[in-house]
Amino acid sequence: MLPQSVRIKFQKINVLKFISHLDLCRTMKTALLRAGIPVWYTEGFNPHPKMVFSLPLSIGTESECEYMDIKITEEMSFDEIKQRLSDALTADMAILDVYAPEMKFQEIGYATYEITPYASYDLSPLSKDEVNITKRTKKGEATVNVKDRIVSVSENEGKIYMILSADTERFVNPEHLLALCKSEDHRIVRKEVYTRNMKIFR
Amino acid sequence: MISDKILKRVSKPGRYIGGEYGQILKDKNDIKCRWAFCFPDTYEIGMSNLGMRILYGSLNSQPDIWCERCYTPWEDMQKEMKENNVPLWALESGDPLCNFDIVAFTLQYELCYTNVLTMLDLAGIPLMADERDENCPIIIGGGPCAYNAEPVADFFDIFSIGEGEEALCELSRLYINMKDNGSYSRKSFLHEAAKLEGFYVPSLYGVSYNGDGTIKEYKPLYDDIPTRIKKRIVKDMDKAYFPEKVVMPYIETVHDRIMLEVCRGCYRGCRFCQAGNLFRPVRRKSANTLNEQAKTLFKNCGYDEISLTSLSISDYPYLETLCDELLCWTEDKKIGLSLPSLRIDSFSKELMERISSVRSSGLTFAPEAGTQRLRNVINKGVCEEDLMNAAKIAYNGGKSSVKLYFMMGLPTEQLEDLEGIAQMAEHVIDAYYQNPDRKKGSRPPQVTISVASFIPKPFTPFQWEAQDKLQVLLDKQKYLGSKITNRKIKYNWHEAKVSHLEAVFARGNRRLSKAILEAHKRGLMFDSWDEYFNYEKWMQIFADCGIDPEFYANREYAEDEILPWDIIDIGVTKEFLLREKKAAYAERVTPNCVEKCSGCGANKLGGENSCCPKA
Ligand code: SF4
Repeated sequence: MLPQSVRIKFQKINVLKFISHLDLCRTMKTALLRAGIPVWYTEGFNPHPKMVFSLPLSIGTESECEYMDIKITEEMSFDEIKQRLSDALTADMAILDVYAPEMKFQEIGYATYEITPYASYDLSPLSKDEVNITKRTKKGEATVNVKDRIVSVSENEGKIYMILSADTERFVNPEHLLALCKSEDHRIVRKEVYTRNMKIFR
Repeated sequence: MISDKILKRVSKPGRYIGGEYGQILKDKNDIKCRWAFCFPDTYEIGMSNLGMRILYGSLNSQPDIWCERCYTPWEDMQKEMKENNVPLWALESGDPLCNFDIVAFTLQYELCYTNVLTMLDLAGIPLMADERDENCPIIIGGGPCAYNAEPVADFFDIFSIGEGEEALCELSRLYINMKDNGSYSRKSFLHEAAKLEGFYVPSLYGVSYNGDGTIKEYKPLYDDIPTRIKKRIVKDMDKAYFPEKVVMPYIETVHDRIMLEVCRGCYRGCRFCQAGNLFRPVRRKSANTLNEQAKTLFKNCGYDEISLTSLSISDYPYLETLCDELLCWTEDKKIGLSLPSLRIDSFSKELMERISSVRSSGLTFAPEAGTQRLRNVINKGVCEEDLMNAAKIAYNGGKSSVKLYFMMGLPTEQLEDLEGIAQMAEHVIDAYYQNPDRKKGSRPPQVTISVASFIPKPFTPFQWEAQDKLQVLLDKQKYLGSKITNRKIKYNWHEAKVSHLEAVFARGNRRLSKAILEAHKRGLMFDSWDEYFNYEKWMQIFADCGIDPEFYANREYAEDEILPWDIIDIGVTKEFLLREKKAAYAERVTPNCVEKCSGCGANKLGGENSCCPKA
């Protein structure tokens, strides 16, 4: 049935960690247009292609599991969308999968991260009873204890793996945790997104 | 290439990452001539420049040439680069500029000169041309300021005069051939380059001065190089190289849109306008070519806005046809069309409505002067009636914002000419209330007047004029402000100090290079940015270097004086400019090129689909 919802899974790796969410939106918009995807436009005074993104990704963090939902107004197979969109983007933003959404973005509960440290760090602050993070909000600074939002932190072959809360209310930015661990040089890649019931998000 | 660690520390790291869709990568082993094309300002500004898009594409269309891009890093990045010993690099390969064969700078405005030195310095390339050895890249300048690049002549090996899409490939060919047959040396290459049409090698021309600081003579050092350098033009715009792909920036730039170059040059002979003379003769693209090129560009970049560019778009004779053809497919795809410097009066109402149906923008109009007398002096062929008609059409179409552009300090200007500016703005507002057809429920107009200061520019009929002294300009700005009482009128003016410095460089000679070098040493950069512009520092530098800025900006140049830019032949003759100067003082209007050719001389350069008589 048209318009049909389409979920696009893509990566945002390497230098693209330095482009903001707004830049990403602009890039996706031009990519959809040059790929000739029959994308559905918002109505109204200034119509633009409707795109909805899953999770925030802070500047500096890479990801192999970003999601964008669009609607299409004409038949086009998922394979063709994947092919066309891939051709309209660089490899750092490769399209990984295209399919009909099975879950809602609101169901997202957790995300996993792989961290490659390049300098010294100390994970012990994360095993304390309280893990306090200072967040800058519009109203000023607020300290939050995020201990119960850290599902696991482990190390394996020189890499650190974290499973952290990722729903809107309880989102934890791994960069903040690494700051507590006094890690100054590292690479962070978001590897997978899960629902609240720990199912792989689709 | 720069490390992530540094990128995480600087503002707007997206400026430095490259890797955009549409960038051109090549295998170094296939390449015989590597260009680093530099825009001496930020990435966001440089990426929006149409000329650079064209030249990047045309050089890269050659299989053995690879052209990359480079922009001025912001100050925080410059600091990081110095602390971490990272030399300036080109975005595509990440290789340092000093490893390139040719490093080119496009000089779009005078206030970028300190940035050129900043970039050379960051690249570890000697700033002075005569200090470069065989291992240094050849440093080339081009763009509008290259027509009088004397103030920066000591820093450049070569200037490319005129349009570069064919010329730069030819120069690369010369370079490759000389390297291949073993005849290359820096010295011999520069000598050969000076023989190619459109290339000025400043070190091969000696300058001597009179006691009063004016120029005595330009003397070529060899007999086999031209005494005057003739500008290059592309003869047939329909056949000219056209970049089908655009490098798509990830971060927001100044013009994120398709720029469709409709024609080069301008039929109108506004006497203050440098571009109008530099780019003569007018050469147009056909509507058909443009429509096809627009389609190709859209397919390759996906921008949802097409901007038709030309110095005077409404003079393009096939504008209706072109817009009709474009709208046939752009409306469907929700692509907006925008026309800069639009003279709505020459437009049908339906067409205007269709153009505005996708994206609305207000009316902009550039009367440039406040009275008919002064408009006759500057040969601006519009009258108040044109403005009123345009305003009426705009109001009927429901537009309420009107922007008016003026200049102050023009030759022969009187106080009443300034008052005329305020009156014109008033009349535009009155026209709204007197117009029974205005769209119901539309907002009352908001008129913005922007007033720039006149800068005498080389290659214009006003090239001999003195600029008003700074204090006079400031007084005039205040005076005009006192004449504007209506709250619906917003009054903006350009910083007069900026215009003064621009005037110094615009008509400068080689002696200014000392001051520019000194400014660089004292840390000046990004002079075109408000937060960096420092007039007092510049004046101090001039004083310390024994240079009188008023000699360049505020002096009336003698008609028989040898001008620093006389060595460049743009096609338009000095005799014509002088005739136009006389006509200006006689308040006599010269017809535009469509009505009647005034014999400016540019037709001798040739050119297809032009309005000029064949030479
Ligand atoms: S040669 Fe004549 S028609 Fe051509 S630009 Fe000059 S004045 Fe205009």
